[in-house]
Amino acid sequence: MELTTPGVATLRRDLDQATRDAETADVALAASGDGRAFERLYRSHVARIHSLAQRMTGEDHADDLTQDVFVRAWSKLSTFRGEAAFGTWLHRLAVNVILARRTTLGTERGRYDDSENVLDGVASRPHTAELSLDFEAAIERLPDGARQVFVLHDIEGYRHEEIADLLGIVPGTSKSQLHHARMALRRHLE
Amino acid sequence: MSDTWTNRLSEYLDGELPESERATLEAHLRACADCRATLEQLRRVVARAQALDDTPPTTDLWPAIARHVGVVSLDARRARRRLSFTVPQLAAAAVALTLLSAGSAWLLLRRPAGARPSQSTTTPSPILTNVGTYEANPRYAAAVASLERVLAQGRSRLDTATVRVIEKNLGIIDRAIRDAQSALAADPANSYLNLHLAQEMRRKLELLRQAAALAGART
Amino acid sequence: MLTTLATLAGLALAQQTDTTVPVRAGARLEVNNFGGEIAIKTWSKSAVRVTASHSSRDRITVDASEQVVRVKSEGRRGPSQVVDYEITVPAAMALALSGVYTDITVDGSQGEITAETVQGTVKVSGGVGNVSLKSVQGDVTLEKARGRIDLSSVNETIKASQISGDVSAETVNGDISLVQVESSNAEATTVNGDVLYDGTIKDGGRYRFSTHDGDLRVSVPEKSNVSVSVSTFDGDFNACFPVQLTGKTKHRFSFTIGSGNARLELESFNGDIRLCRPGQLAKDKDRDQHKNHDQDHDQDQEEE
Repeated sequence: MELTTPGVATLRRDLDQATRDAETADVALAASGDGRAFERLYRSHVARIHSLAQRMTGEDHADDLTQDVFVRAWSKLSTFRGEAAFGTWLHRLAVNVILARRTTLGTERGRYDDSENVLDGVASRPHTAELSLDFEAAIERLPDGARQVFVLHDIEGYRHEEIADLLGIVPGTSKSQLHHARMALRRHLE
Repeated sequence: MSDTWTNRLSEYLDGELPESERATLEAHLRACADCRATLEQLRRVVARAQALDDTPPTTDLWPAIARHVGVVSLDARRARRRLSFTVPQLAAAAVALTLLSAGSAWLLLRRPAGARPSQSTTTPSPILTNVGTYEANPRYAAAVASLERVLAQGRSRLDTATVRVIEKNLGIIDRAIRDAQSALAADPANSYLNLHLAQEMRRKLELLRQAAALAGART
Repeated sequence: MLTTLATLAGLALAQQTDTTVPVRAGARLEVNNFGGEIAIKTWSKSAVRVTASHSSRDRITVDASEQVVRVKSEGRRGPSQVVDYEITVPAAMALALSGVYTDITVDGSQGEITAETVQGTVKVSGGVGNVSLKSVQGDVTLEKARGRIDLSSVNETIKASQISGDVSAETVNGDISLVQVESSNAEATTVNGDVLYDGTIKDGGRYRFSTHDGDLRVSVPEKSNVSVSVSTFDGDFNACFPVQLTGKTKHRFSFTIGSGNARLELESFNGDIRLCRPGQLAKDKDRDQHKNHDQDHDQDQEEE
């Protein structure tokens, strides 16, 4: 009976669209106060947000920041208008939360340092131990400025103008930080 | 290897070098094997960065987040789903709706009208359910409307038998909601009726969500 | 409900695929089948055998890695239509089964099970750990499972027996029957249908059963320690053993049996609520078989 309907072929649909629609529904539900829907959103986005936080600030603060991002997202859900994908919106929010924390963390750790000398130090230490350093770990060992630019540009796909805006620097600085980060990291490719 | 040129390799790689400099650099590259090697390494760094995998946190952060935002986690809710915070919230809405007329101050505390403009340019056909008075709660109404929109857009992709079954079941839930409302009108303080209404309202959202996901295409 | 489907498909199901792949302990099976059947059986070998009847236009792929064995079908042009799978797996293998116009059966599993379909039944015997069964337009039936059990339908009945662990069952238009249940945490809710619970009430346990239009029948074993709260708008309450009502208001009252440290919540808006001893409810159940399928459901069939 059911199969005689012409719907069989049409029921096959593009999976991406499916995910988006299910997510749109979950966002609407979560905005109406549904915790289960919000948990689903959390589960599908947590890896991306956590990885971003970890690369931007290091392992110690990643959990904490991830938590902050989702708490913030919950209270701001009503401002999400569906112009961008939810993931994009959440990512923007995460970058803001992480960068807002950056200053505090930088002071705390006392190693917020833009100077290129530090970078040269990292770059010119191709000892055997360093060679085996995991690429992710190498990113974390970059000085804050270079690391943030590298993460935002090469991993997250932001443009220099946007990065400059976010970090309060000029695009030229963003470009040179990126270059130095890349130069340092090429020793940790394998 | 000239530092002046090495320093421009990233810009070259990203296609951000002005035309004139690009030509000069390319000429230089042809003559400089070291520079070519460095460029290749940089290219691999960028490729590596783009191929990095995201990894979830080693500990589940959801319970802490749930506590912060006042949501009970799925595990805890299995034990007692009624603790789900949406229920008291919807129950409060139900009480308020019984006591206050639509458009009153209480309702205006919630999401302002028009805060969630229609996301689509297509005109969704009127679908599935009538809008009852309980949908005067703006947050709830917005959620229902948004789900109905998703469903309307995906409806043609749903099997007609499935559409009919979903419509029928939404109708059944709507009837339960109306029953609970009219009972509440006579007995507004009844906590069972409030919770019951809230449960059915939540159920309607859940069914709409499920239907929207189906219409959207989950197999 | 898919007999018609099988008949229609009969002509097209010309091809047979029969593949066996070795698997490691801990690997899981994933099957997605748009229409047709997924039937899972178990054996003691460390291998998965996939037999499939399908159209000669379709190709079945069995993709085995260390962690997962993925079974799917592809049409030469576009999606394949109807495939009947019979798959034999090690009993402990975790199963993730999904489809749209698909009947799913599992027999003898000792692993986790997730099964989801839209227009089709789900019938499972076995399952350990997370057992999650969902259909929209089909019956969901489970027996002999233990773990965290989650059953859901929209328009049909849910039945489970000889199960233990945390149990949650939800439908909109259908009855729920949970019998021979060993649980300290059980919940069942429907809108238009009856709920039957015949199982344990354990100290410290929580139980919640609710319906809008339908009756609740729930067992309370002798020597239980439970606080019971009963809520109804337009229904009656009765128990086949004596109870002392306290805190009685118009639509809500409660009472305590023994020390009362388990909690039992019963809610029916329009229907009756009845408490009895385990086993005594079975008689009622038979009687209700006849009125199970409400009329508009039958009309649906005629409209097809």
